[in-house]
Amino acid sequence: MTTPVSVLRLPRGPDPNSRGFDPSSPRFIALCAASIPTSAASAADPARLQEEQRARSVLRESFLRCLLSMSNKRVQFHMYEKVKVEATFGASDIDVLNFQVSDLQTPIGVQKEALIRCQDVISYCFEV
Amino acid sequence: MAMRQTPLTCSGHTRPVVDLAFSGITPYGYFLISACKDGKPMLRQGDTGDWIGTFLGHKGAVWGATLNTDATKAATAAADFTAKVWDAVSGDEVLTLAHKHIVKSVSFTQDSNCLLTGGNDKVLRIYDLSKPEAAPLEIPGHTSAIKKALWCNGDQQILSAAEDKTIRLWDRTSMEAVKTLSFDTSVSSMEYVADGEILVITYGKTIAFYNALSLDLIKTVEAPASINSASLHPEKDFFVAGGDDFKLYKYDYSTKEELESYKGHFGPVHCVRFSPDGELYASGSEDGTLRLWQTAVGKTYGLWKCVLPGNAQILRFPTQDSPEIKA
Repeated sequence: MTTPVSVLRLPRGPDPNSRGFDPSSPRFIALCAASIPTSAASAADPARLQEEQRARSVLRESFLRCLLSMSNKRVQFHMYEKVKVEATFGASDIDVLNFQVSDLQTPIGVQKEALIRCQDVISYCFEV
Repeated sequence: MAMRQTPLTCSGHTRPVVDLAFSGITPYGYFLISACKDGKPMLRQGDTGDWIGTFLGHKGAVWGATLNTDATKAATAAADFTAKVWDAVSGDEVLTLAHKHIVKSVSFTQDSNCLLTGGNDKVLRIYDLSKPEAAPLEIPGHTSAIKKALWCNGDQQILSAAEDKTIRLWDRTSMEAVKTLSFDTSVSSMEYVADGEILVITYGKTIAFYNALSLDLIKTVEAPASINSASLHPEKDFFVAGGDDFKLYKYDYSTKEELESYKGHFGPVHCVRFSPDGELYASGSEDGTLRLWQTAVGKTYGLWKCVLPGNAQILRFPTQDSPEIKA
């Protein structure tokens, strides 16, 4: 009596509304040269470029500091399909694709250790 | 407890899938491109089959498709008499190379600087992608339409298979044929395995393995049905084949023993290829689908999950796109 191998889900099919190549995917952002809007414009004004780069650095730094301050705190995640869960934040991976959390409280129980996929998260909040 | 293979079906194409190719292993995983008679080649994530994008631009059936090693470029060969080069990250068309007839095959050199094309005008062409306006190097010789053309031997030589029932080995520098293999019937597919210099050829019900440098025969294996494509596992312990009886066959390469056969496709299998890590193989069929098959059935990999009896299921958060079950 053979059992068919379980499958997590089916492969995702094409989006009927677009040709794909998601510009927010990590690969696109890393490999596509013109990810800074100003630099994409052919006549790049160096002053504007510098200003934009500075703004990006500030935003990036504050995001990283936010992740640091979240460490070991209870965080509420608002996710798609009206999912709201709470967990103790552990760490993020380098590309911010997954968050490692502990004591994840879900409607069907508490998961001691879990990985939350960042693309499923709409927003999160925590007390500083 | 014996496990039964669960193939993963990738839908999206509306006509037969005639060619497919994997990239090498990149920091973002590996990728798969499929050529389809609907004229819209698609890029997919190699280990899950998830659709990434569709290359739009061809005005006819796409007969051949390939990716460079790091999956940054794609090339396609079509019935609209052009070969196109694409940016495989953004999906944008980078180059259109006009030909005088249907183009059937495209192949990048390892450094992605040159593209080899072959098709119904019987001439092999080598394009320098850094000088796209320059005329390509042309290698005539075949007396019928070229079906497949591949770089081999460190990109120093070219292997081509044509409807004239020959496979020819060409030297890139001299542009001359150094060896020719003749068959009684047209070769249906050709795969070159660089590591070990092995050439996998299919014709009739036969899967044949040759030394790619000398074109000496290593061994042949007979299948129960007419075979359209075969692929050798990177570690050379298995090979898989598919053809007109809609099934996929898995063989032990050393003993030539048929290990398994799988039903699943609803039409003849046109192409089959192992992934670069050998964990799965992909097949493309007349039925318009690609299917991914596990090499080690039951192993946790990609979307396949090994669930041991008694263990709790993993928690999954529903995502915005729910899977569509297509008949």
